[in-house]
Amino acid sequence: MTGIALRLLRHRPGSVLATLIALIAGVTILTSMGALVESGLRPLPEPQQYANAEIVVAKRDLTITGKQLGDPYTATVQLPERGSLPAGLADELRKVPGVENVAGNADALTLQASDRVAVEKVAASAGAQVYTGNDRVLVERPDIAEARGLLIEVGGAFGGYVVMLVMFVVAGTIGLSIRSRRRDLALLRATAATPGQVRRMLMAEAAILAVAGSVVGVPAGLLASRWLGEQLVARGFVPADYGLSRGLLAAPAAVLLIVLVALGSALLASRKLSGIRPAEALSQIAVEPARLSKVRLGFGLVALTGAVSSSAVSVGAGGQAALAGAVSMLYLFVLAVALLAPWINGITARYLAPVLRAGWGNSGYLAAKNLAANARGGATVLTALVLSIGFGGSVWFLQDNVERQTVQQLKSGTLAQYTVLTPGEVSVEKLGRIPGVEAVTPMRQTAVIVKVLDTLEVVPAQAIDPAQAKATLDLKVRKGELAAVGPDSIAVSATQAASRGWKVGDEASLWLGDGTPKRLRVAAIYERGLGFGDVVLSTATFGQPPTKLLIRATPDAVPALKAAIGQSATLIPSEQATAGVSKDLAISAWLNKLLITVMIGYAGLAAANTMTVAALARRRELAVLQLAGVTTRQLKRMVHAEQAGLLGVSVLIGGVIAAVTLTAVVYALTGGAVPYVPLAGVLAILGGATLIAMGTTIVPIARLLRQSSLAAAGTRE
Amino acid sequence: MPLLTADRAASAAVRVQELTRTYDAGGQPVTALDGIDATFVRGTFTAVMGPSGSGKSTLLQTAAGLDRPTSGRVFVGDTEMTRLSEAALTRLRRTKIGFVFQMFNLIGALNVEENITLPLRLSGARPDRRWLAEVTHRVGVTNQLHRRPAELSGGQQQRVAIARALAIRPDVVFADEPTGALDSHTASAVLELLRSIVDDHGQTIIMVTHDPVAASYADRVVTLADGRIVADRNQREAEAVA
Ligand SMILES: Nc1ncnc2c1ncn2[C@@H]1O[C@H](COP(=O)(O)OP(=O)(O)O)[C@@H](O)[C@H]1O
Ligand SMILES: [Mg+2]
Repeated sequence: MTGIALRLLRHRPGSVLATLIALIAGVTILTSMGALVESGLRPLPEPQQYANAEIVVAKRDLTITGKQLGDPYTATVQLPERGSLPAGLADELRKVPGVENVAGNADALTLQASDRVAVEKVAASAGAQVYTGNDRVLVERPDIAEARGLLIEVGGAFGGYVVMLVMFVVAGTIGLSIRSRRRDLALLRATAATPGQVRRMLMAEAAILAVAGSVVGVPAGLLASRWLGEQLVARGFVPADYGLSRGLLAAPAAVLLIVLVALGSALLASRKLSGIRPAEALSQIAVEPARLSKVRLGFGLVALTGAVSSSAVSVGAGGQAALAGAVSMLYLFVLAVALLAPWINGITARYLAPVLRAGWGNSGYLAAKNLAANARGGATVLTALVLSIGFGGSVWFLQDNVERQTVQQLKSGTLAQYTVLTPGEVSVEKLGRIPGVEAVTPMRQTAVIVKVLDTLEVVPAQAIDPAQAKATLDLKVRKGELAAVGPDSIAVSATQAASRGWKVGDEASLWLGDGTPKRLRVAAIYERGLGFGDVVLSTATFGQPPTKLLIRATPDAVPALKAAIGQSATLIPSEQATAGVSKDLAISAWLNKLLITVMIGYAGLAAANTMTVAALARRRELAVLQLAGVTTRQLKRMVHAEQAGLLGVSVLIGGVIAAVTLTAVVYALTGGAVPYVPLAGVLAILGGATLIAMGTTIVPIARLLRQSSLAAAGTRE
Repeated sequence: MPLLTADRAASAAVRVQELTRTYDAGGQPVTALDGIDATFVRGTFTAVMGPSGSGKSTLLQTAAGLDRPTSGRVFVGDTEMTRLSEAALTRLRRTKIGFVFQMFNLIGALNVEENITLPLRLSGARPDRRWLAEVTHRVGVTNQLHRRPAELSGGQQQRVAIARALAIRPDVVFADEPTGALDSHTASAVLELLRSIVDDHGQTIIMVTHDPVAASYADRVVTLADGRIVADRNQREAEAVA
C-alpha cells in the first residue's frame, strides 16, 4: 500500500505541503521544548568546593511525605533561602558508627561514612539532606539547582500545553486532508480495497509525512534549541557553565511522538471513514453523512460547562501558574467549540444568510448555502480560527496585564520616597534619627512554602519590620492591620487568602524560606499581592538581613542619609527602584513571551494550513458550479462571502473566549475586573486573523479557478 | 419464455431474491427496491431501464455488493454475498466483479496502467501480462498507458474503466450509465465494445441505462418502476444462447 500512498501524496502537493508544514513546525517546537527538559534532567557538573568531600550534609530542599486519599505521596521543592543546620547536628553525626572527619559549619557539613543510610536518617531528623557524587554541586551552587528547576518546570508544565497544541493541530490537519478525499477513498473501496487496506494506506501516508517532516523539523529544532540555550544563558536564566543539552535525546522523542500522533490521527480519521459505502463513489457529490451524533453534542456541552465553571474558579498566583491556568481554560473552550462546531456552523449559516445576501447578492446566497451544507466539514476551519483568535486575544495580553499590574501596585503601594539598595549592615535606628526622616522600613524579598493538596508551592513573600510600615507601604489592607503582624503572625494577599481559604484570625501552616516549619496567625489581608508578594512576615519571624530599606523622608535629609549608609549601599528615589523592578520583570517574562509567541504563531499557522487544505478540496464543487453557469467572478465573491461569514463568527466566538479567560485570570490575580487591552493589540489580532482567513483561501481558490472546469468536474478531487 | 430454465440455473452469474432496500431520507423512509427477484445468466448482456428514481442504481449497487440490501439475498455464482463480512465482500468483488460507473471512475493520482491493475495489486495477485495486453488492446488504450486520467477524453476514460473491470477476468461486469456522460458517437463506440466483449469472451454484463439506444445493444431489457420489475424482455435470444 505504501506505493499507492506515495502516488496519492504526489498528486495533491498543496494539501501535502500544508500538512508537512504543520508537522515540521511541530517537530521543531517539540524538539526545542524537549531540549529544555533534557537540559533540566542532564547529569550535573563536577563539584568544585566539595570535590574532596565524600558526603555533604546540607539543607537545600524541603521534602514532605503523606497520604492523599490513601495514596502515599512525596513532594520536594528547592528552598528559596539557604537552610542552616542545627548546631548539634555535627555531634549527632559523629556518634554514627563509621562516620569520620566531620567538618563544616551551619551551612553544610562534610564527612566520610561507611553507612550512608544511617547518615541519611540522622540528617533527615534535622530536616537536612545527604548529597554525594555530582549532587554535591547542588549544595555549593544554588543557581544551578534553580536553573534546573526552571528548565524542568518550563519544559514540563508549559511544554505539556505545547505538546497538546501540536497534537491537536497535527490531528486536525491530517484528519481534514483525509476527509477531503472521501470520494477517492470510496472509489478505492469500490474498486476492491478492503477497509483494512484503506486504513493501512492512510496510516502509511501519515507515517511518510511525519518522517519527511522530521527530516526538516529535527535540524530546525536543534538549531532552535541551540539559539534558545544561548538566550537563556545571556539573559541570566541559566548559569553559563551549566552545559545545556542541545536536544540529541529530545529529537528522537519528538519524532516518535509526531509519528505516533500522525498514525493515531490517521487511524481515527480512517475509522470514521470505515462507515463509507463504496456506493458513494458512484454518486455525483460525495457528502459526509448529515447525521450528527448526540454523543458529540453531549461532550461538547460538558466541555463548555467545564470551561465556564473553570473560569469561575480562581487560578493559582504567579505568572507561570496564571498562564498555565489561562491556557487550560482556553483549551477547554476550544475543545467545546471543536465539538459543537457543526451546530455552531449550522446556526450561523441560518442567521447569516440574509446578511450575506445583502452584502454579496447571489454569491452571498450561494455562500450561505455552502456554509449550511458544509457545517460539518467547516468544523475544523472554525476551530482553527477560534483557536488562534482565542490564544492571540488572551495569553499575550495576560502576560502584559500581570506585568503592568505588578508595577502599578508597586508604584501606588510604595509611600517611601527613597529606597536603599544592598543596605548591608546599615543601622536602621541611626537612619531613623536623621532629621527629616519620618520612617524607615527594612524589607527582605523572600518566599515561603505552602502545602497545596499533595504538592508544595513556593509563594513570594516579604519580611518587613511592621513598626513604621504604615508610613512607607500601602498594601491596601482590606481586613485586619499590617502593624499587627508580629513574631507569630503574618499578613496575606487576598488572592492567596482566597485560594487557601484563610481568614483573619486563622492559623496558617507554612515553611519559611529556609525550611523552618511555622504555624502563624493571619493578622491582615491586603490587595497588592502582585507587587509585594503574597505573604508579609515580620523580621521578628524571619531574621535574615534586609535586601532593601524603604525610607520616608524630606529631600533635605538625602545628603545625611547618603553619608550614613556608606559606600556599599545606594540610595535612589523609589520611582527609580520601581523602574528597575519593571525591567527585571520584563527579563523574567521573556521566556513566557517567547513560548506564548510560539503558541500563537503555531495556532495561526494551523488556521492557515487548515483553510488551504479545505480550499483545495473544493476543486470539484467549484467546477460543478462553473458548469452550472456561475461565473468566475461570482465564485470569487461567493468565497469572499463565505470567509467573511466564517471570520465574523470566529472573531465573535474567539473574542468572547479570550475576553472571558482574560477577565477571569486577571480578576483572580489582581482583583481588577477590567483587563487592560491595548487597541493596537486588538487591531493586530483582527488584522492577522483577516489576513489568514482571506489569504489562505483566496489564493488557492483563484488557482483552482484558473484550471479547466471540465477536467476538474470529471476526474480530479 | 423466461431465460431461467432448470438446466441453466447452474449457469446463473448473479441471482437476487426478494431484494428490498429502503433509505432513510431525513427521517422519512424511501423504498428504493421493493422485492426484486431476478437471475442474470452467464454470457448475457442485460440492460436495466426505468425512469429516474425507479431504483436502477440501487439494484445495481446491491447486486454488486457495493451496498447492502435491507432484506433479501444476492448470489454471485454460488456465493451468497449478503452473508459476507465487509472485508470478505471486498475480496469477492475484486476477484469476481468489475465495475464501470457513469463518471469519476479513475483515481487521478494513478496513470492508466496503474488504474487498470489497481484491483489486482490490492488483491496481491500477479497480473497476467498477456491478458492485460489483450484487454488494453481490445479497449484501445494501448497508446495511453502512461497518461493520467486528466489527460484523456471522456470516451477514453470509460474505455480505461472497462479495461480495469475486465483485467480481473470477472464473473460479471456491472455498469451504471457508462455512456451517460458521453456524446452519442463516443457512446456507441463504447457500447459496441461492451457488446463485442460479451460475444467474443462470453462475459456477463449488467448495465443500467435510461437510453433506449444504449439498451438496444443488450440481449435482455429489465424495466423498473418504483422499485419493482414491471417488464422483462428478451431481444436477442439467439446471441444470448451462443
Ligand atoms: N443515499 C440515499 N439516501 C436516500 N435516498 C436515496 C439514496 N439513494 C437513492 N435514494 C432514493 O432511492 C430511490 C431510487 O434511487 P436510484 O436507485 O438512484 O434511482 P435511479 O438510479 O433509477 O435513478 C430514489 O427515490 C432516490 O431518491
Ligand atoms: Mg441512477
